[in-house]
Amino acid sequence: MGHVALHGVRVAAGTRTLFENISFEIAPAEFVAIVGPNGAGKTTLLRTIAGFIRPLAGEVTIDGAPVHRLSARERALGVTLLGSESELPYGTSVRDVVATGRFAHRDWWEWGERESDGRIVGDALRHVDLAECADRPFETLSSGERQRARIALALAQEASLVLVDEPTSHLDPRFAHEILSLLRTLAEGPRSVVAVLHDLSQAAAADRVLIVADGELLADGPPRDALDPSILERAYHIAFSRFEQDGVLTVVPRGPLVPGRSDDARIAGGSAQRMDVAGEDPARTATVRTGHDANTDRILGAGLVPGVGDAGLAGDDDGRRTGPR
Amino acid sequence: MTVALRLGSLALAVCAAMLLGLFVGGSALPAASVAWTLLHPHASGDVATIVWQLRAPRVCIAALVGAALAVSGFLLQGMLRNPLVDPFLTGISSGAALATALAIAAGLAIPFVPALGFGAGLLTALAVAFLARRGSGLDAERLILAGISLSALFSAFVALALTRVGRASSSTILAWLAGSIAGRGWNDLFWAAPYAIVGFGLALAVVPALNAMRLGDDVARAVGLDVVRANWMILSAATLLTAAAVALAGTIGFVGLIVPHLARRMLGTDGRKALLASALLGAALVPLADAASRTLWAPAEIPLGVLLAIIGVPTFLYLYLRPASATRMWGT
Repeated sequence: MGHVALHGVRVAAGTRTLFENISFEIAPAEFVAIVGPNGAGKTTLLRTIAGFIRPLAGEVTIDGAPVHRLSARERALGVTLLGSESELPYGTSVRDVVATGRFAHRDWWEWGERESDGRIVGDALRHVDLAECADRPFETLSSGERQRARIALALAQEASLVLVDEPTSHLDPRFAHEILSLLRTLAEGPRSVVAVLHDLSQAAAADRVLIVADGELLADGPPRDALDPSILERAYHIAFSRFEQDGVLTVVPRGPLVPGRSDDARIAGGSAQRMDVAGEDPARTATVRTGHDANTDRILGAGLVPGVGDAGLAGDDDGRRTGPR
Repeated sequence: MTVALRLGSLALAVCAAMLLGLFVGGSALPAASVAWTLLHPHASGDVATIVWQLRAPRVCIAALVGAALAVSGFLLQGMLRNPLVDPFLTGISSGAALATALAIAAGLAIPFVPALGFGAGLLTALAVAFLARRGSGLDAERLILAGISLSALFSAFVALALTRVGRASSSTILAWLAGSIAGRGWNDLFWAAPYAIVGFGLALAVVPALNAMRLGDDVARAVGLDVVRANWMILSAATLLTAAAVALAGTIGFVGLIVPHLARRMLGTDGRKALLASALLGAALVPLADAASRTLWAPAEIPLGVLLAIIGVPTFLYLYLRPASATRMWGT
């Protein structure tokens, strides 16, 4: 259960071909992140896997069955798609929103809920920690809570593949982290999760990262291999730096590509190391330093926070040059 | 109040409104003799004729028209997720109005007019659906655009017809446009009811789909709804219901727009409850308004559609636009 495969899939949006020939597989219990520049067709790819769009060539199979041959109901038992946004049905309780996930488990003439439906919806609400909000109108929830409710909906649906489109957009770092951890817990047993993400450091938390750009699958592998600055540069046409600390991989944009200067980012096992700039361009470094308040400078300078100082500086520097990510 | 209690009180309100419709009317009959006639259905005489041949069919038609318009409005508002949609969006009333106006102007015998209006209304709805289709599905925005455009076009033709026909014909056309069930009998009801019944049946069948569509078409698709098929079913149900109502009573606005709001306010957005509440509320409101239209200005009648708008619109505005109200148009 939950084995998804794309074979030579060709997808177009209108007259523009997004993917010519794309193939990959998703195994049960995998948490896969798809990253790539805006307009690369990530959302279209998700919608193709979900069976909303029929590929022009090739096919998408779930457990060997071509998705487009399944009825809407059969498909929903295998795969579900959480879009980046949904309508706000004013006056609808959180519980009713989550119970929508049980649609495919009922026959069309069944108006009422089955007993098992109530139990599964309750479990889903508890899993996302919204049991207390069950009777509140959906629109009164915060963005983070709404996203959790939508994840509960997908849980209640019991599909073996959950596709999520930009689940952390509009969320602050804490809520974003919460949602990612929640998605991580979903990718268990027979269920796998595929999420389109924009934050590369968030993508680094997945089991596997797919990078799509210019109609191609540029990388497919563990985050450490896929999120390679040279691949990311091909995808986004800007330079990237990456650091690793305590096993957490962080990838940040660094600025425009400088012709002839390849990326000099290297990972130094375990401890963070500054990858870039400061040493090469005194003027820029000075700007960065004056940007910090005296206190920060003192702490960084004194090395009171081991291993953080340089990385912090480099990160700030990036932020300054590329604008908020 | 529990859901059952609320729906129960609405059902009681329907019975009360229909009974009231039997007791009041243009000719003042003593309540006792009306009651006696109701208890003795096979009696004959003037009172029996008035009650059984004039008032009873009228009351039943009013209830059917009210329920049909309210459910139709509920379905379309749910499908398009737009609280401003009313059953006439599908172009039915404008198509029917044009056919009716032309038929009257051409001097066609009056008994054929409702049938003609019904046919023209259905044809217009098909044309609107044809214009609104995208791929194999229906596009909500195109539906609204097509409905409004065709309605505007047909209204222009109706206005043209009004200026070209004689005074007698134009007053008949205006009476139809104002909405009324004066002079309708059992025959009209039996002729239109089958369409309404099929419409109600379809409406019940699409309730789970409407619930799934509350979060948008993509969520509905993701949870396993065939959105294309559901849209066609909803449009068919709404069209049949509206066509039956228009054939029976002409253009009656307000009910299809506002009753679904009141129903959602009372019972929430769950289609299972809100659809029943819409049907009951509509079936109570229209007989009540019809009773008022017969008595307020007796022996003359105020057109039903006009009366409903005069009472209904200020009520609606008060409910939704008063500054203290934190309620929203969509939902509770």
